[in-house]
Amino acid sequence: MKKTDVQVCVVRAGGTNCDGETKRAFQDLGVNAEIVHINRLIKRRNLSEYDVLVFPGGFSFGDYVRAGAILAKAFSAKLGKELERFTDKGKPILGVCNGFQILVEAGLLPGFSGISEVPEAALATNFPIGFRCRWIHLRHENSGRCIFTNKIPEGETLRMPIAHGEGRFMFPKEKEKKFLDKLLENDQLVFRYCMETGKPAGESYPANPNGSFYDIAGICNPEGTVFGLMPHPERAYYGWQLPDWTRFERLPKFGDGRLIFESVIEYITTKL
Amino acid sequence: MIQSRYVKKKVPFELYEITLLDADDEQLLQISEEMGLALNLEEMKATRRYFAEKGRNPTDVELQTLGQTWSEHCFHKTFKGTILTHEGKKINSLIKTYIAKATLELNKPWCISVFEDNAGIISFEGDIAIAVKVETHNHPSAVEPFGGAATGTGGVIRDVLGVWADPIACTDVLGFGPLDYDFSKLPPGVKHPRYVYRGVVAGIGHYGNNMGIPTVNGAIFFDESYTGNVVVYCGCIGTLPIKKYIKNAKPGHCLVLAGGRTGRDGIHGVTFASLELTEKSEEVSRPAVQIANPIEEEKLKRAIITIRDFELASSITDLGGGGLSSAVGETAHRFQCGALVELEKVPLKYPHIPPWEIYISESQERMLITVPSENLEKVLQIFESEDVEATPIGRLTPEPLLKIKYHDIPVAELDMGFLFSPPKFRGTAEWKPPEHVEPKLGEPRNLKSVLLRILASPNVASKEAVIRTYDHEVKGNTVLKPLCGKNDGPSDAAVLKPLDSSWKGLVISSGMNPQYGKIDPYWMAASAIDEAIRNNVAVGGRRIALLDNFVWGSPEKPDRLGSLVRACEACYEFSKGFEAPFISGKDSLYNESPLGPVTPTLLITAVGIVPDIRKVVTMDLKTSGDLLYLVGRTYLELGGSEYFRLHGALGRSVPRVRLEDAKNAMKAITNAIDAGYVKACHDLSEGGLAVAAAEMAFSGDRGIDLWLSNVPRTDYVQTDAQILFSESNSRFLVEVPKTVQADFEEATKGVVVSLIGEVKKERSFSVYGLNGKKVMEAGLNELMKAWKSTFRM
Amino acid sequence: MKYKARIEVGLKPGHSDPEGETTKASLVELNYPVEKVKVSKVYELYLDASSQEEAERKVEEMCRRLLANPVKDNYTIQVEEAQ
Repeated sequence: MKKTDVQVCVVRAGGTNCDGETKRAFQDLGVNAEIVHINRLIKRRNLSEYDVLVFPGGFSFGDYVRAGAILAKAFSAKLGKELERFTDKGKPILGVCNGFQILVEAGLLPGFSGISEVPEAALATNFPIGFRCRWIHLRHENSGRCIFTNKIPEGETLRMPIAHGEGRFMFPKEKEKKFLDKLLENDQLVFRYCMETGKPAGESYPANPNGSFYDIAGICNPEGTVFGLMPHPERAYYGWQLPDWTRFERLPKFGDGRLIFESVIEYITTKL
Repeated sequence: MIQSRYVKKKVPFELYEITLLDADDEQLLQISEEMGLALNLEEMKATRRYFAEKGRNPTDVELQTLGQTWSEHCFHKTFKGTILTHEGKKINSLIKTYIAKATLELNKPWCISVFEDNAGIISFEGDIAIAVKVETHNHPSAVEPFGGAATGTGGVIRDVLGVWADPIACTDVLGFGPLDYDFSKLPPGVKHPRYVYRGVVAGIGHYGNNMGIPTVNGAIFFDESYTGNVVVYCGCIGTLPIKKYIKNAKPGHCLVLAGGRTGRDGIHGVTFASLELTEKSEEVSRPAVQIANPIEEEKLKRAIITIRDFELASSITDLGGGGLSSAVGETAHRFQCGALVELEKVPLKYPHIPPWEIYISESQERMLITVPSENLEKVLQIFESEDVEATPIGRLTPEPLLKIKYHDIPVAELDMGFLFSPPKFRGTAEWKPPEHVEPKLGEPRNLKSVLLRILASPNVASKEAVIRTYDHEVKGNTVLKPLCGKNDGPSDAAVLKPLDSSWKGLVISSGMNPQYGKIDPYWMAASAIDEAIRNNVAVGGRRIALLDNFVWGSPEKPDRLGSLVRACEACYEFSKGFEAPFISGKDSLYNESPLGPVTPTLLITAVGIVPDIRKVVTMDLKTSGDLLYLVGRTYLELGGSEYFRLHGALGRSVPRVRLEDAKNAMKAITNAIDAGYVKACHDLSEGGLAVAAAEMAFSGDRGIDLWLSNVPRTDYVQTDAQILFSESNSRFLVEVPKTVQADFEEATKGVVVSLIGEVKKERSFSVYGLNGKKVMEAGLNELMKAWKSTFRM
Repeated sequence: MKYKARIEVGLKPGHSDPEGETTKASLVELNYPVEKVKVSKVYELYLDASSQEEAERKVEEMCRRLLANPVKDNYTIQVEEAQ
């Protein structure tokens, strides 16, 4: 597929608010991206016309009930079939921050055996509590399964900002070990919070900013085509978005977040 | 209750006639109080006169409409009124005489709309303009900190939407009582500063974060007087294509009310803001606090911007103080029309709200637009597509009359001319210089411990614990964030890159120092202007526009009004002098509590531009071996300083502003930054040179050698402590690489500037005193620790 | 028939509860001898159903589908005929 033929759908609902910069990131790389209200998607039933589906950050439906829960259920209830067809075709789905919460609530992630009816994981209230906006370090842990990080070498340390109050990744307590093993076995672990040096955060604040189990910051489905993460790659796209860009001898052109957008576009243009 | 004065009309809903015509003065005041009108005797008499001419008594809807329209909050009676000073000077309107006068005389072509609309508008790049507004929301925040602050943010965002601008950033400047305030000293009805602080901070974050608007600049001040009078300033900046700044409403255009439903929340918010807070405020005023729903406003924003882009509406305004009564009245007044409102069409949260309450309710997240009938259907469709309720509730009419009906029964009819010409406020102003004395302090034996204590003092210490709870980079356009450097140092200003197609940046900064106002409000205002501008200049900003926000006590008391006049005089003088016009402002008066009046507080917000964001300079030191230059002269000005405060004193040597020197210093900084000679730049403010240098050092993780004998100063400055802690205005500390030393010196020729130190590899902060000997040696970690440990995350 | 349901959704035991812990800390700060705070969310809703059983079944389903995330949440349901 040619770059210029690629159509990205950035879904929004009331309360979504990172749609603009997410669309910008895709467009900057030469593909088409459109922000589509979920009501319109439901009315037109044209999800299949798109090649990438993105759930951007924000507070969809005010994050009432639980972060991401309402949009997730609305999407599954109204567009469940289309969504299944979309993933079956191997078309990529990205969820950032609130989008990650949506993918987990919708049962798409971790999605050990397809889309699950009830969530298999949760993104709970931060520990320590509170909304936090700052830059963190991430270690890339994926060995090649995730199509969103193909351009990032395994073991690489990246920098991106987080901005959330509910990002504590967790599995059911009784299945914690089992699920983690499965995640690792399937190469579904993508990003872990880490120290500046790349050493694991050890589940301790502030390197792990929200108390996530096993320092998990982002995971993909077993096929590697659905990816969710709490940090914001679209806010680490340009060099001037870095928190300390004035300290560089020369202004870096891009931030680490760009690699994620490049990776998925490469996948679509070469594999689909 | 004087029951007999309220006559229930024979209609199938709640409507009262008030028998005003034969009421005496005492009864007039009683009616005003009982109905919560907050109208004074003169205003009540004018009302009686009007209805006497009409030969009938007013309805409750009419009186409430007048109460709202004539309120201090909506009409700014004090700033538009006549003031007699004790020197016998007569001031006709503070706005016209001082604030707007500077703007008028400066006559900058880039000022597009000033003082007349919901927000000030200035040009930015090509067709794109910037709209800015800063509001206060003190009274509601005192009663319900979370809701008050949240709706303050929501309200100022709607102000920006109210000029068709798309909000891109928020600011917040807050003032609280000391967090360790003695519980037992709190009078009933006054909440503990710690409670207020937590609630206000959470409320601001809640609204901005949920709406996806970054909170990019702010400050927090602590003052004893803020215990009873919390200070909450909320600002918002937006962008708009100037072609889409449409305001051509005409008779016949529909009034469309959009957004949240109308309920009883926020009844009498306006009149309540115009009254002093008393013990009773808490229980009486609780319903006056509005409930915030940022998601509703987010949807509303999307719809409004779409309607703007298609140019489907003829005017817009937000519903804030006074609710529909102000929005409808002001819209009609502005376009020299009248209006017909059918109140039963207003969507309600629950049934059985009497007409007067519907008309003045301050339910949040509502906007009023006027729409030519041919576009109505399209407009309603757009709202619907965003899941926003929108309803035509009436129309503009050719005759200058405000007519309100409820189920076809007239409930109000007022002449527009009368509605918008309340009796003029007349006040007397008297300002006497307070008799403070300069404390006689010996030279401290341990300068380091003084510095550590000032770094840890609440007004100086890091506010990271608050800043991190606000999303400051949503939208992905925040170039310079509130915290910068390697160790989260305090940025002087925020820089945004609003347009994908341009490198031009928007620079936002602020200046405020209530401590100086205790000595002289004139120099407080001058200092705040200087500080706001120099913060802007320090990162590369220029072409600066200013906003003024006054928080004062009751203007009915001559001393409060006297100090207000004095601050206004400085506003004119220094706005004109710096060629930085005021483009918008807002005042909050009557900030009085059982603990006394608020310390007069003036917030100056500065909005500048930077031609290329890649040239922006941050305050963290970059490279060892670089040189440190101090630009600007140090005077013996410790009055109101953090140094004196540490010693429990205020003093009288308040910092002044020497206009020519200040302008030259700023010009030199701008030139040096543009030429690329500046690696880091920081303004000197609270805590003076010592604090600025320490902040630069630990933020950049670089050590410093500082030579005080090289600091340019007047003869009166004779000790190391005075040099380190004087808070003289218009000074910058600048890092310059050795390779461009000569160029920098050439670029700053004719300006007071001196090489006063060097950046070094060792992580220590060394100060050499006037005698050439080392007088302070501190590790960067201990300085940083002092600065960072006051407010815990 | 109209039924009224009261649904309480709270964290499963064993999960850390930052909201509860923070609330506890501030109550202790105010000198109350509080040992533990558990925070839950309560939904009160009214629905139509042909019987008590059907009403309970529907509410149970709501919990599973939306109101609770079984990974971390427990819930309790009370259903009664509404007046």
